[in-house]
Amino acid sequence: MAATNGTGAQIPPGKPMSVEQHMLDKGAQMLQSLKPIKHMNQHVCTFALYSHDMTRQIETHHYVTRVNQDFLQCAVFDADDPMAHLIGLEYIVSDRLFETLPPDEQKLWHTHAYEACTPSILSSNKRSSKRVNIIFYMMQIKSGLWVNPRVPEMVVRPELENLAKTYGKFWCTWQTDRGDKLPMGPPVLMMSPQGTGIGVVNPVLVQNRDDKYNISSDALKTARVEIAEPEWLNPQADYWKQHNDKGFAVEMETTEMKKRASFP
Amino acid sequence: MEGVNVSTHPEIPAEPTQIGTALLEKATATIQGFDPVNKIHQHLCAFHFYGHDMTRQVEAHHFCGHLNGDFRQCLIYDRPDDDGQLIGVEYIVSEELFLTLPDDEKQFWHSHEFEVKSGVLFMPGVPGPVQRKEFEKVAKTYGKVIHFWQVDKGDNLPLGIPQVMMALTKDGQPYENLAQDVENRYNISFEEERENRACIKGPSHGIHPMANAAGKGLQTVLREVECCKEGKSTRVFV
Repeated sequence: MAATNGTGAQIPPGKPMSVEQHMLDKGAQMLQSLKPIKHMNQHVCTFALYSHDMTRQIETHHYVTRVNQDFLQCAVFDADDPMAHLIGLEYIVSDRLFETLPPDEQKLWHTHAYEACTPSILSSNKRSSKRVNIIFYMMQIKSGLWVNPRVPEMVVRPELENLAKTYGKFWCTWQTDRGDKLPMGPPVLMMSPQGTGIGVVNPVLVQNRDDKYNISSDALKTARVEIAEPEWLNPQADYWKQHNDKGFAVEMETTEMKKRASFP
Repeated sequence: MEGVNVSTHPEIPAEPTQIGTALLEKATATIQGFDPVNKIHQHLCAFHFYGHDMTRQVEAHHFCGHLNGDFRQCLIYDRPDDDGQLIGVEYIVSEELFLTLPDDEKQFWHSHEFEVKSGVLFMPGVPGPVQRKEFEKVAKTYGKVIHFWQVDKGDNLPLGIPQVMMALTKDGQPYENLAQDVENRYNISFEEERENRACIKGPSHGIHPMANAAGKGLQTVLREVECCKEGKSTRVFV
């Protein structure tokens, strides 16, 4: 079953795999160890926003490898089914590691406190429009943004406390949300949901996700009620917050390639 | 048999994983679904170089899954080990799909004909005849590679902005010592494989002139932009 966008166009286009291809694939799989892939041991579903246009918001599926207590690397897809598109990578570091980075690097990263923590943090938000806020607060009381599908909330709760203190760097390489049938253009920087201003995620997106996973509002409310928010969040992260809603774009420049032989 | 990659292998500074975290992840690994990742069935090894600097070459281990007969998506690691660092992604498309791309997109993509025919692109652990069947197809494809972690610089974290990478397109480009190291580690001979692959053909329409950045250097730069609130962004150059 091919993945399609809203208009039914197949993404990506292409012929089904031939029987021969399937057999080659199966053969490789049996002979090769694929070790790094076997270390993805968490699936997380959350949301992200394009840093150059935060009105574009997407549901993301992270397949996470923990390298050690301070560092995780994630392959990010746009769905959780076998036809999901690989849309980018996210790296996650502890606050301890983040503080070792120079400010120019830090500005590319985002905080996770909001996604992980309790709805009570929202009460400090005064900047969003009242109507959106009321709807959003009500919805947020029912769910956190960052969830581990299928895992009971009480099981992941301790990890959410760790996560709340981390910072992420997420590059998107395939903008399937705007209908790109193939990965086009340079990579783009993504930001995380926040409780204020242009960082607020559309509650309809969240509701659709929660319905899909049958997320229990009571379980979440109970489980997340006491997750402490970090005492301090580095102001270089979530760059748009302290810098007049500025974002970043990656552009390509043609240049003289440094060579050791002729090209191409 | 897979050995240790002798190229740069920076250590990520950190604490070892705590027991509570490890236990949770045992639970998530057992209970949760991993469908997108379970599609990854192939390991390919090749070299990439930076789009603006051929002298910086990186051994790249691709872990690929098909979305259909014309399209593969790959995670790239610096080594195929349990502690491999996830350094980039590659998308691989058939010639037919590549030709549908606008010209200004084609520049990001590189051809695979030389890598296949020279033997430097290979599938560790897979017998030659099986690999060749696969590479009859791969030789006609194009790839788009982005790296996010410059391990060849010794970066111990993924610093900086993404790098568009290119692939080898002719003899004389790859460093002999890097190639030799891979041959020793995997007990293979690129020369021998080149002979075995002599009959494999590249793209039916020839390598497109816009591919491989049309022969130019490609560099990424970061711009600060006015993040729009209504679907349009205004670029401000800094």
